[in-house]
Amino acid sequence: MSEGSRFQSIEDVLISNSRTPVLEGEREHDRKENHEPVSGRRSLVSKPSRSDSVFRNVSYAAGMATVGIMLAVGVFLTLRASDALSVAGFSFLTEQEWSPETQKFGIAAVLFGTITIALIALCVSVPLSLGAALLISEIVSPKVRTALITLVDLMAAVPSVIFGLWGVFYLQANVIPVSQWISTNFGWIPIFRVSNAAGELATEASAFTSSAFIAGIVVGLMVVPTQTSVMREAFSQTPMGEREGALALGSTRWGMIQTVVLPFGRGGIIGGVMLGLGRALGETIAVYMIISPIFVINWELLKTGTNSVSSLIALRYGESSQFGLSALMAAGLVLFLITLAINFTASSIVARSRSGAESG
Amino acid sequence: MSPSHARSSQLRRRTLSASFGIVLVGIMVFAGASAANAESYDPITGTGSTWSQNALDQWRKNVASNYGMTVNYSGTGSSAGRRDYIGGTVDYAVSEIPFQANPEDGSPAEIPPRGYAYMPIVAGGTSFMYNLKIGGQRVSNLRLSGDTVTKIFSGAISKWNDPVIAADNPGLAMPDKTITPVVRSDGSGSTAQFTLWMSKQYPSIWTTGMTSIFPGLAGSKGQSGSSGVAGYVSQDYGEGSITYVEYSYALEAGFPVAKILNAAGYYVEPTSSSVAVALLQAQIAGDLTQILDGVYNNADPRTYALSSYSYMIVPTEVGGVFTVGKGKTLSTFAKYMLCEGQQQAADLGYSPLPMNLVIAGFTQVARIPGTAVPAFDPSSCNNPTFKPGEDPNNNLLAQTAPQPATCDKRGPDQCTTGTGGASATETAISGTGNGGSASGSATGSSSASGASTTAYDEYGNSVSGGTGVAGAVSASPFTLAQDSWGTPQNIMLAAGLFVVLAAVVPPFVAPQMQRLMQKRKR
Repeated sequence: MSEGSRFQSIEDVLISNSRTPVLEGEREHDRKENHEPVSGRRSLVSKPSRSDSVFRNVSYAAGMATVGIMLAVGVFLTLRASDALSVAGFSFLTEQEWSPETQKFGIAAVLFGTITIALIALCVSVPLSLGAALLISEIVSPKVRTALITLVDLMAAVPSVIFGLWGVFYLQANVIPVSQWISTNFGWIPIFRVSNAAGELATEASAFTSSAFIAGIVVGLMVVPTQTSVMREAFSQTPMGEREGALALGSTRWGMIQTVVLPFGRGGIIGGVMLGLGRALGETIAVYMIISPIFVINWELLKTGTNSVSSLIALRYGESSQFGLSALMAAGLVLFLITLAINFTASSIVARSRSGAESG
Repeated sequence: MSPSHARSSQLRRRTLSASFGIVLVGIMVFAGASAANAESYDPITGTGSTWSQNALDQWRKNVASNYGMTVNYSGTGSSAGRRDYIGGTVDYAVSEIPFQANPEDGSPAEIPPRGYAYMPIVAGGTSFMYNLKIGGQRVSNLRLSGDTVTKIFSGAISKWNDPVIAADNPGLAMPDKTITPVVRSDGSGSTAQFTLWMSKQYPSIWTTGMTSIFPGLAGSKGQSGSSGVAGYVSQDYGEGSITYVEYSYALEAGFPVAKILNAAGYYVEPTSSSVAVALLQAQIAGDLTQILDGVYNNADPRTYALSSYSYMIVPTEVGGVFTVGKGKTLSTFAKYMLCEGQQQAADLGYSPLPMNLVIAGFTQVARIPGTAVPAFDPSSCNNPTFKPGEDPNNNLLAQTAPQPATCDKRGPDQCTTGTGGASATETAISGTGNGGSASGSATGSSSASGASTTAYDEYGNSVSGGTGVAGAVSASPFTLAQDSWGTPQNIMLAAGLFVVLAAVVPPFVAPQMQRLMQKRKR
């Protein structure tokens, strides 16, 4: 091993410096060469320069501020929500109706809608983003790759209100026949069934508008760029040696992807999916524009009517009384906690996969 | 880089920054000069109703260019506006609902810490836009009475062929189709005005009272924003749906609106003049809130019953962020709104405030601390509904608003002429009643003519209007634009290509640019 590559990082340097006896011989050699006077042990206390200390303080301040703001948001939501939560108690999680005027409100139906929309979004986005990430990192030539990366990033920059408008005024009319087809052919599966008030299979177009399915598709398309870039990043870190090894052993391109790239990027895939899920749960404006809010749990995903926490807040906050606002804050608090948990899980998985530990 | 090259580029940079500096100074001088010319006004800020926002935004723009006045407004919702006013963080608020003394849900009462007055700013009618077809032909002359509307929006009627609807429309064979009421899913002034009318006129059918958020209704669709509800109704899948929305949205979408029965027994369309006529009977209560019972039951045959107005909450005491200096701005802005501003009301989808409400508004403006408008002066008020020197009881509006056609009177006749955005579409008589045309109805007190003889072509479309003064109105069945390749499609194609180019070109161009730069350096 060459001299230069012995120390991996600054920690390693410090550790080996502290092991003075081991390095004694080397240092003696150095001193002789430099004709330095030999004194006692070398002082290892470093005095940070001004720029160092400024940089250190600024970074500490930024880090602390980020954590502090997160905590402040949580504390603020909890304080403002306490009014409503003290009235609703535990039933806040089980009640479906939302009527703060009559003190009867809960987020069971709203939360159910939020989660169904997010899950439908993932069903749409995961195959798309997995395919796109593999295409970009494994198949296309480098020139096309840069173009595709820009294109995906450009898609991430499209404001969600644009996706919402597109969903309402273009996609909805075109998804209705698809929904109708699924419901007539797969109506025997309860979640694909669309029944009218009399319990019969509904066929009218108006029974299929503003559904969780349509909102889910739009949100799914919105999270594709996020997921694609996380996955692509993970795939591109696959060691070249292992790839070449697989190819040298006679595997096809798909064989190489299957045995090397996908296992190596497993952490990236999971992390990307979770990050996308976090975003899908919190998506507001596109959902707000598409759904027709209802306050009952609707298992028929293709049927009109669903709800989501963030769109409920956006729809109601302007015309809410003080108490109604507190109830909305409580709903926001629940969403905040769920999103926080998901994002923490996601980032820890992504961080673990960086080292390539999963490649086994 | 050679020394001479470096020097020249440095020189260029210096010239560039110098010229930039000159431009900057020029802009500053220009801005300073234009500000010094105008009378100075303190900027004012307000929040509130989204319903009035279109009008306020237009007026803000106008006073900014005419008077150099800065008026800020954000449509955060009526309740949010009232909250901000109580908190003292805004100079004025705009709301459809007065301060709530006893909120239902046990929230503390809304009591502003400083004095306030309600000033009417803009009026409008709640119109009912619908999408209905009979035998594949779009209906454009639907008539509804007040209790029918209330029953539709409270779930008591669920089919278009309900006897109650058929009774209103003798000329139409109503189809056996489910009614989809489309309501606003967000809190809105339209909902507040509509539910106020229902709770006042039909308390036995509508039991929920006045509310800004439409209560849950089985079989209904909630959509956000006026464009959301209008957009839903105008889609193909919106057939059989009806919604309450501002008249202008129906015009824009090219869809008809229902004519509503008034106290005089006429079915009337919510045009800006029929709303203004109705509001001639608006009263202002002792606590300055609106009393609209006179409007809803106005006996003038030209009345559109569902008319109301929104008001600005203006301070009558200094406090919070409000100062005497801002009072000058606010009062001047208020005078502009009540007079010149009303000229644009109809274009913006509202109705102009009639004389009685303008006078009431001026009484409140006079109470603003630091007001620059001491008293009402009709000679300097350029409002489209009256001329200087006119009597509030007999003014321009009362004389010129068109009378409804006789076929619009309750009875066996039903006008075939279209309404709203589908006014060019006639609807053939399919029921048992007789037809008639409402076009060209006379103005003033003379009654318009309607005729019950209408000619039909072989498809059952009426090809001519009545035989009276209405003149011939040829039928032009309402057709949506065909999906052919035209200018909009070209523009969209160009936009799409542009996006693709924006993504694809930089990666290819960047390396070559770099190479070029390197060559230059060498």
